[in-house]
This record gives sequence, structure tokens and C-alpha cells, in this order.
Amino acid sequence: MGAFLVTLGDVGKAAATADRDARDLRWSQMMAAAQAGDTRAYEVLLRECLPLLRAVCRARLRDANEAEDAVQDTLLTIHRARDSYNAARPFRPWLVAIAERRALDRVRARGRRVRREMPVDAAGEIASGEPGAEAGLDARRAAANLRQAIGDLPPAQRAALGLTKIEELTLVEASQRSGMSVGALKVATHRALHALRRRFGTEE
Amino acid sequence: MRSEDLIQRLASNLRPVRPALHPALATAAWLAVAAAVIGLAVLVSGPRHDLSERLTGGFDLPQIVTASVTGVLAAFAAFELALPERSARWALLPLPAAAAWLATMGWGCLQDLARLGPDGLHIGMSVPCLVFIAGLGVPLTVAMLWLARHAAWLRAGPVAALGGLSAAALASVGLSFIHYLDAAAMVLAWHGLSVLVVTSIAALLGPRLMRRARPVG
Repeated sequence: MGAFLVTLGDVGKAAATADRDARDLRWSQMMAAAQAGDTRAYEVLLRECLPLLRAVCRARLRDANEAEDAVQDTLLTIHRARDSYNAARPFRPWLVAIAERRALDRVRARGRRVRREMPVDAAGEIASGEPGAEAGLDARRAAANLRQAIGDLPPAQRAALGLTKIEELTLVEASQRSGMSVGALKVATHRALHALRRRFGTEE
Repeated sequence: MRSEDLIQRLASNLRPVRPALHPALATAAWLAVAAAVIGLAVLVSGPRHDLSERLTGGFDLPQIVTASVTGVLAAFAAFELALPERSARWALLPLPAAAAWLATMGWGCLQDLARLGPDGLHIGMSVPCLVFIAGLGVPLTVAMLWLARHAAWLRAGPVAALGGLSAAALASVGLSFIHYLDAAAMVLAWHGLSVLVVTSIAALLGPRLMRRARPVG
């Protein structure tokens, strides 16, 4: 009986492995077809991989929007580095490694941003009556307002502004990073700046 | 933009690509290119007349062997790192050989010290050394980064640095066949400096170069 159960377990395990291998093999073949220029195979493959990419990114980033941004970074990297895959190797480790890296990039960027945010004990500084504490808090509040305003922009404008004005990339670099054309970036950046000026009342 | 829309957009401007070579094949291709270029440079400059004598004794042979091994392993490590799913620990592969290379030169310095006294450690100027290694190393690094261009958006920095190390180490092997330096201290200082310069240039400018050569699409 025991031996039978062991055999059954082995069969189950073997079936699971075979199943996983079959899917990996299928994805691998689709990727090879995509490398040869098959757009249909490429689109189906990326759509099938999307839940896996989301799972990897959500494991690293709790914020759903941020995780989705990481998924899109991953899709762009997959596209740009699609020749780094070789069909002789398993597909999933390649895919997951790229998603992990882009999610960790977002985690790191988030860490930098959080360090710049207002500390909770800022109120204590004011109570201490230290000269300059209030001015410092005002500056932080203004920064928080600006961040909020940037956050309220439409996604394309926010992305364009972030790449060209905050990360200070050239238009060509920003275009490579975002996949938007140089013209679209210019328009989006201009509109974003216009919206911010209007919001803060520096433009009639 | 929704991820589903992004997928559609990426698929709509899909162009065929050639899959990257296996790291071993890529290393072989790279070594063939490097050997041809460096060999030609050695032939044009003319090998040193006392080459066979130098290779049978002293520190030249171990120095050349360890530098070659460093160059080969750095290239293999670069091509491994250029694949996203490979461990970052591949970057450590050439380090023991590089340490052995430094050790052979350091040992040569000690032998010179024992033989010639403090004069054996005198370091003079040898700018042609730097010019030879950087002059060959930088263009060869560009060739290496072209072979590893699929790493542009993943681990470009480490790949470029290892590529520069490989190119410079192999160029330094070529230089050992022609140059006139006898003192180990001079070789250590000038070869070491040149390799450091090429590796740093590669690490700083390589990633930008790789990305510029690979726009979206």
C-alpha cells in the first residue's frame, strides 16, 4: 500500500513536471517564433506571461499601481533584450529574472523617494521653536503639493515630465526609455508644465 | 497605458532578431577577433629579439599565462552576465586569475629587488605602454560590447567592465611580446595602470554606448 502511494506520488510529481515543461517548451517555441518576427506568437506569448509577470512584481511591490509600472518596465525590457533569449534554454527563468530586476529597480527608486518625504516628527521641530523650522516645513509642504500635482497629471504627461525634467534625460533617451516618439514627448512635457503653472497660479 | 495595450504596441513594431550566441561560442568568436587584431599589431611592431630567451626564464611566461587566463575568463564571465537569468556571481570568475597575474608581477618585483637592490624597483615613464594597451584595448572593447549588446538594458555596467578587462588583459599579453620593459616593477606599474584605465573607460562609457546602439524596436 505504502509502495503504491509512493508510486502514485511519483506519478503525480512527474505529471506536474511534464506539465510545467510542456508550457515552458511552448513559451520557448513562441519566443523563438517572435525572434523570427512572428507578431501573432509574440502577442499571445506576452499576454500569457502577463499573470506571471504581475505575480513577480506584486511580490516585491505592495502598491498595485507601482507593481503595474514594474510590469510595463519588464515588458519593455523583454522587448529590447529579446535577443538575449536562446531557445535551447528554459524560458521561465529568463522571464522571471527580467521581471525581478525591473521590480527591484522600482523598489530602490521608491526607497529613495520615501527618504525624501516629510518625516513624521516634523511637528516636534516646530514645537521646539527652532529658528527656520517653520520655513523648512513650508518648503516641504510646497514640495508635497508639487508631488501631488504631478501625481494628478495624466500618465503620459507624468511620464514625459519625469523623464525629461526630473531625470533630465535628453529627448532621445527619454524616447528610448518610454517608447514615446520625440514629438509626443515634447507635446506631453509642454502640456504638463502648462497644467502645473496653471494649478499654481503662475500663469494667467 | 494598460499593460495589454503596451503588449499590442510592442507586438505591432516587432522586428526579427538573431538570438544571442551561447557564452562559450561568443567567447570563441571574441578570442578569434582579439587574437587576429593583437597578433597583427605584434607582427607590425616586430616581436622583441630576445623573446625566446625571456620566455624560458624569469617572470615573463607566468605573467603572460595569467594575463591570458584573466582575459579569457573575463570574456566568458561577461557573456554569462549578459544573459538575464545567469547568476551575478559570474562576475567573480576572472578575479583569481587577475590576482595571480598581479602576484606574478609582484613576485618579479621581489626578484628584481634581490638581484639589483632598490634600483630594481625604479619606475620610469613608459607612456607607449599605455598607448599600446589603450589603443588596442578600447577598440577591442567596442567589438566585445557589440558581441554582448543584448545586455544593454540589463547588466550593462558589469558586462562592459568585464569586457574592458578582457580586452586590456589580452592587449597586455600582446605588448609583452614586443616591448622593451625588463623590470617587473615597470611592467606592474604600466600594464596595471593601462588595464585599469581601459576597464574604467569601459565601465563608464560602455553602457551608454550599448544603449545608443540599441534603440527601441
